[in-house]
Amino acid sequence: MGSISLNGINKSFGSTEVLKDINLDIKDGEFLILIGPSGCGKSTLMNLIAGLEDLTGGEIIIDDKDVSEESPKDRDIAMVFQSYALYPTMNVARNICFGLEMSKMPKNEQEVILKKVSSLLQIDHLLDRKPGQLSGGQRQRVAMGRALARSPKVFLFDEPLSNLDAKLRVEMRTEIKKLHQRIGTTIVYVTHDQIEAMTLADRIAVLKDGELQQVGTPYEIYNDPVSHFVADFMGSPGMNFIECIVKDEKLIIESGGEKYELEIPCKDAINNSKLDVVLLGIRPEMLTEIQPSVEKNSYIHQIKFDVDVLEPMGADTVAIGQWNESEVMARLSPESGNAAGKGFDLQVDTSKAILFDPNSGLRIR
Amino acid sequence: MNKFNLLNINFGRAAIYFILFLFAFIYLAPLYVMFTTSLKDIEEIRSGNLMALPIDPTLYAWKKAWASACTGSECKGLAPYFWNSVRIVFPAVIISTILGAFNGYALAKWKFKGSEFLFGALLFGCFIPFQVILLPMAKLLGALGLANTVTGLVLVHVIYGIAFTTLFFRNYYVGIPTELVKAAKLDGASFLKIFRHIFIPLSTPIFVVTIIWQFTQIWNDFLFGVVYSGSGTQPITVALNNLVNTSVGGKEYNVDMAAAIIAALPTLIVYIIAGKYFVRGLTAGAVKG
Ligand SMILES: Nc1ncnc2c1ncn2[C@@H]1O[C@H](COP(=O)(O)OP(=O)(O)O)[C@@H](O)[C@H]1O
Ligand SMILES: [Mg+2]
Repeated sequence: MGSISLNGINKSFGSTEVLKDINLDIKDGEFLILIGPSGCGKSTLMNLIAGLEDLTGGEIIIDDKDVSEESPKDRDIAMVFQSYALYPTMNVARNICFGLEMSKMPKNEQEVILKKVSSLLQIDHLLDRKPGQLSGGQRQRVAMGRALARSPKVFLFDEPLSNLDAKLRVEMRTEIKKLHQRIGTTIVYVTHDQIEAMTLADRIAVLKDGELQQVGTPYEIYNDPVSHFVADFMGSPGMNFIECIVKDEKLIIESGGEKYELEIPCKDAINNSKLDVVLLGIRPEMLTEIQPSVEKNSYIHQIKFDVDVLEPMGADTVAIGQWNESEVMARLSPESGNAAGKGFDLQVDTSKAILFDPNSGLRIR
Repeated sequence: MNKFNLLNINFGRAAIYFILFLFAFIYLAPLYVMFTTSLKDIEEIRSGNLMALPIDPTLYAWKKAWASACTGSECKGLAPYFWNSVRIVFPAVIISTILGAFNGYALAKWKFKGSEFLFGALLFGCFIPFQVILLPMAKLLGALGLANTVTGLVLVHVIYGIAFTTLFFRNYYVGIPTELVKAAKLDGASFLKIFRHIFIPLSTPIFVVTIIWQFTQIWNDFLFGVVYSGSGTQPITVALNNLVNTSVGGKEYNVDMAAAIIAALPTLIVYIIAGKYFVRGLTAGAVKG
């Protein structure tokens, strides 16, 4: 078991408020990703859950028990740090067993756990080495091994992969996902990498300036963001944002020297908001070359597009141009990307377009 | 052209070495004179050249300095006072180093309200001149019944040394990542266990630095020694002073020289053995995980 409830968490360092009224329920066995820009309070929240910092306000419940006042060792939580924080003078085996040693577990039981963990993480051959003699990926595994050895109720991962190179990061990401599927323990995982968030999470919690912006499944966060901030944070290349004048429930854009009226799904929202100008949000993958196979409907538009820059990414090519003097990215197939230039015919699907209030950045629904 | 350059470089090199040797010679000359003089007999000193090697080397002066020279009214040589110094230095160094390690660990990694102020106050202790604390300390030792005792001198050196040892350890431990402490706390380790299992094993360089520093400071101390010791508890520095100033018959320079070398020998040996760790410890960087 390992469910966590964060109720009205506040944290200040002196007079600076770092976390403001965080409310979040994490289910037993869930993989929850905490994402947000650097300095928004992610690590602070992890330290609070672990008991390494004291709460300024609110309470933390683990498995129906208020642990707000309990010391870290009584919370049954293990944490993997960004810097790994391996004990530099101990070899790998002792690093992994240190927690067991502290809980006075007999040596032979420690051995059994060490064997299990090290074969699970494929680090059996490293047990006699010191952390200084390991590569980044190996240190990462040892840090995870140390967390696993104690079989805690909850794992906290604080940006565990951010010190690894790109290829290793992808490998370890997959391994962490497999690991979670195998052991099924609750994981709270901090990252500022949105791909990690999308691929790993059962649910994603987006944090900004110490405030929770949105909590939801990766699908919800990606397709149904509550604000410009959340929409902008998720997706690579990121969502296009274009300020548009509203006219007869349609949005006016200028592209490739011509004016177009875009049909959009949320007409009531426009009317209710009474705004003359809205911020249109549309993902690059909805801007493609003409696809004859797609059934025509009122949301499918054909638009001329002056491509300024092409960025081939292998699987597809990003074409960058302008609508209403805002930068816009389209995602083309490599073949049509090669041919793209001035006056390229773009197919724009607005069925998933969303709108924001340009002043507050909040979603218009 | 090339050849000319080469010559130039060689000439520069030669000049540098010449100057280095010159200074080394100037610095080492007194030691040389001390050592050679200590091996001469008094006749040879009176008649001979100061820089000359001893014609007929003898250990007479060394034996006398160690065992029978007069230091005031007593004539037992330096030996008893050498052992006094040993009895003062060892406990004082060990206790002040251990306390400094604890203080430094707590001040670096277990910050509490007022810990920065406390550290500042301790730091201030490094800048208090010896002379300022002479009287109050004498009162304190009197009140504790430790006046004129070895224990009293140990206490003085421990108190005076804590400021320095704390500073050394605190600054060293600040460089050790705090995440190690966090990880160990989650592993269930206590304040003391973290210190023992994680910090102590990382501390060899700073222990060496602190021990050398404290050893030299306390061994070479004269002022505290002369003020707080009784006739039987004087450290070697005070005895050396008395020996040189006591002249029964003529002045025996060879004995004075031998005595001075004996008094300086332990610190010299410590530097020769551990000097390279001293430099290494002072420059040791942060610990990588
Ligand atoms: N011990 C501390 N004392 C004062 N301010 C802190 C402390 N720890 C973190 N902060 C501040 O809290 C904010 C959030 O920090 P952190 O939780 O580390 O952010 P993140 O992990 O999201 O990058 C930062 O502005 C940081 O400067
Ligand atoms: Mg962080």
